[in-house]
Amino acid sequence: MAQSTKNLPSFIHLLSTMRFAITMLCFIGIASVIGTILKQNEPYENYIIKFGQFWFEFFEAMGLYNVYQAFWFLLILIFLIISTSFCVSRNSPKILKEYKKFQLNARERSLKSFKHSYEIPVKKFSTSKLEKLLTENKFRVKKQTNKNGDLIISAKKGDLQKLGYIFTHLAIIIISIGGLMDGNLVLKMQELTGSKQIIYEDLALNDVPESGKLTNSNFSYRAQMLLREGEKQSVAVLKAKEGYFIQDLPFIVGLNDFRIEHYSTGQPKSFESDLIVEDKETGELIKKTINVNTPLTFNGVTIYQSSFEDGGSELALDVWNLHSAEKTSKMESIIFKKNELVINNQTYFFEFNDFRKFNILDIEIGNEKKPTNVGPSFIYKVRNQSGQAKEYQTYQYPMMIDNSSYFVSGMRKTPQEDYQYLKLPADANGEINGFMIFRELLHSPQILNNAIKRVVAQSFPEGGEKSQIYFEGVDRVLSGFIEGGYSQIAESIDTTLPIEDQERIANSYIKIIFLVGKELITIYELNNIEADNFLFESNHKFVQESLTGFNDSFFYGLPIFLELKNYVHVQSSGLQLTKSPGQFWVYLGSILLVLGIFCMIYIQEVRLWILKKKDNKDILLALTTNRHRLEFDQFAHKISQLMKKTFN
Amino acid sequence: MIFKKIFNYLFIVSMLMLPALGLFKFHQYMDYYEMFILVGTGLTFIWMSNYWQSFKYLVTSVLALSFISIFLYEGNLLSGEERFILKYFLSSQSAIMWMCSLYPLSLLMYWLYLFKKQAFFGNFASQLTWIATAMGFIGLLVRWFESYLISIDVGHIPISNLYEVFVLFCLITALLHLYYEEKMNRKELGAFVLIIITVAVGFILWYTFSKGADAIQPLVPALQSYWMKIHVPANFIGYGAFAIAAMISIAYLLADKGILRSRLPSLIILDDLSYKAIAIGFIFFTIATILGAVWAAEAWGGYWSWDPKETWALIVWLNYAGWLHLRLVKGLRGPMLAWWSVIGLVITTFAFLGVNLFLSGLHSYGEL
Repeated sequence: MAQSTKNLPSFIHLLSTMRFAITMLCFIGIASVIGTILKQNEPYENYIIKFGQFWFEFFEAMGLYNVYQAFWFLLILIFLIISTSFCVSRNSPKILKEYKKFQLNARERSLKSFKHSYEIPVKKFSTSKLEKLLTENKFRVKKQTNKNGDLIISAKKGDLQKLGYIFTHLAIIIISIGGLMDGNLVLKMQELTGSKQIIYEDLALNDVPESGKLTNSNFSYRAQMLLREGEKQSVAVLKAKEGYFIQDLPFIVGLNDFRIEHYSTGQPKSFESDLIVEDKETGELIKKTINVNTPLTFNGVTIYQSSFEDGGSELALDVWNLHSAEKTSKMESIIFKKNELVINNQTYFFEFNDFRKFNILDIEIGNEKKPTNVGPSFIYKVRNQSGQAKEYQTYQYPMMIDNSSYFVSGMRKTPQEDYQYLKLPADANGEINGFMIFRELLHSPQILNNAIKRVVAQSFPEGGEKSQIYFEGVDRVLSGFIEGGYSQIAESIDTTLPIEDQERIANSYIKIIFLVGKELITIYELNNIEADNFLFESNHKFVQESLTGFNDSFFYGLPIFLELKNYVHVQSSGLQLTKSPGQFWVYLGSILLVLGIFCMIYIQEVRLWILKKKDNKDILLALTTNRHRLEFDQFAHKISQLMKKTFN
Repeated sequence: MIFKKIFNYLFIVSMLMLPALGLFKFHQYMDYYEMFILVGTGLTFIWMSNYWQSFKYLVTSVLALSFISIFLYEGNLLSGEERFILKYFLSSQSAIMWMCSLYPLSLLMYWLYLFKKQAFFGNFASQLTWIATAMGFIGLLVRWFESYLISIDVGHIPISNLYEVFVLFCLITALLHLYYEEKMNRKELGAFVLIIITVAVGFILWYTFSKGADAIQPLVPALQSYWMKIHVPANFIGYGAFAIAAMISIAYLLADKGILRSRLPSLIILDDLSYKAIAIGFIFFTIATILGAVWAAEAWGGYWSWDPKETWALIVWLNYAGWLHLRLVKGLRGPMLAWWSVIGLVITTFAFLGVNLFLSGLHSYGEL
């Protein structure tokens, strides 16, 4: 310890060297690269999956999941500020002194040794003319007559270049301080001392302990708020690591309405929230519509439109049992609420997670894919009794796929997977009823029996024993299909028939199923003359699609299909609330920075001396600059020519 | 001489009149910032053309041809495919394709000039570059107009996606090059600068034909801001200048090794030029980054979020700040700085393109 105290001056010296500052800047650069390559602020499980437990903990200890809030990163910033401050305080006095100083004590010999030194012949000398010439060329001039009668004129311009150094470095300090002000340094300190603690559980507002609440006096923050339409809130959530703090606000925010507008192509055009903000102390009310790029600032806090979510839309659903002839039943649900349903003696738990009024998908129209709005969809999870869940997304309206119109529902077992889609054909009215009638017919033994009979009669018009055997065969195939789809039949073919016959038999089975299916619809239409569900040019395609849909329903993981009949759309607006007192300083520093860079780069500092000796008619002109550039040669030449002209 | 004078006056008058006319006719569609930008653009053009006579001709011809194109459209987007002149010259896509074919040609001419040293090739190369640049600007301006023809609410300045900014990059780099070429009265460096432009042209063509990137897309909400009109161009003056500096540095490194030395300008001139390019690029890049921060504060609620694009902008900035610091404060010169500026271009390219390709973030609208 004593050692370090003794070395303090040299420590300060080290801090104030440019090498140190550049090292710090390099560190910031490297840290930044890490911060961009490693995705920041992800849920911790993602990191564990990516790196494994060991490296996950190691990286966490190093703060790599949140580099820019990491302790060492802030430390570097602080060191950078200190180091730059030392640089400025050390160099500024020198620069300011030089700013004032005119070197009038220049010697003839040294002036002559300058690279740009001219002896200019003079016919008639005039000090005032010379001064005029110099001021016209933007020089500041000072003159002096020495004891021996020699006149020396010292002039200079472009002093601002040197001030540029001070400006830029001061700017870096100011910007960094502004940035630190808006960082969470104070909160970090409170965390370290234990007076504030991150909350990791999902708690109701009243259950949040004081240590998890941040008061209005919190210096700076960037918090989030999710507001449902019609809802009011006076606190926001400040995310920290895997948990959060509750931030008290100086006002109450209410959301009257949230709107998304769309372009004709379906892409979102604007997100707008109609806010009503009430000051907690004065009761002052402000109504304002905010959107992306037009925030609202009130009481030192700025409210931005940042995201949106469903706010608990109400859905009216029809429940269709796919594997029985049961009629539809109704289900009412609210997004974020849970429902229970007993189907075929099994209980299923429904969790409705999201409703989307617009879905923009790349749909093939003509020959090209175009982003198109395919209408509302809802997303839900279905858990069985053992807790296993599958996720579903079901669209309300039929979609055109390969020139046919289908009701589509996606299923996946984990969020990492892509959805697998169940496609049920729409009927002639664009409704799902046609398919559901077809399903009902398949499950009605009487009608099915009839249809099979009619198919058999087509092959064996005269009846007889052969036709009876054929009937039994077809009946077996159909009941297999109804029980488990094509795979059920395939299984029985695999186990009972020799390989060389399998394909032929399978094909004939498929054909038979199709014929029976077609017959089912014919029978239905005969019995329901008014019905218009199957008024296609030909029922051929619909029957095929229905059979495929019916077959696919065995892989859907759910014996029912939920059809969205109606909805009340309720939205939530995601707001960001920012208090950043450092912003002013950052902007101020930025202006200073641009000014400084401009001075340093575009202002050329020039010093000029003229010596007129008492006993000599000619004058000696010398020019110098601290940074030599190509233009300076031309400039020096120009000045010397000007003088020649003036005095001849 | 008298014609030149009259032309100069006419130019000044029209640079004052056109924005005034725009304000008069369309002020109800603009906010104050946009009015300021419009008037400011006219004044900037007057100021710039006072510095650089050729710029005046460029502005005049680009505006004249763009207005002809707009006139020929007659408010109907389909005219672009039906009218001969539009279809082959003045619709935005064909104008940009002209640009794309003329830049590689002028690269060829510059190399011929470098080896043959015949003034004809040099002049021809410059002319081609000028024409390509004019066509590119016409392409962008007409595209701007076309976006409004698609639908009033789709209309926006065409500097909002990767395709459009690549065109902008070519144009700004070419303009900066033409400026230095004229000021220095040396044409050899075109052989180097046009390489990077041609590479960008290659990208544009690939992007157009394999990804159909030339389709006009409406603006996502975050981009609907007047800040885009200043942030993006300022950024690309930075990118363009850094690219030029790197190409000149390559010429420097070659000359330093004795390759092409007799055909290139002296090392001192090359060194000075690459400094100038970096200096101007640095100022504009600084301004662009600051404007970006101001914009981010308005759209996303924070002037600095350590978003990948922001972070890489900082890295680019630090890189050139270091370069300038060493040169200005320590007086460093020579091959090391040249190498540094070449590496600087790699870093800049990553910030410009790589971030969009490999990292996701708030700037993700530039995705490939």
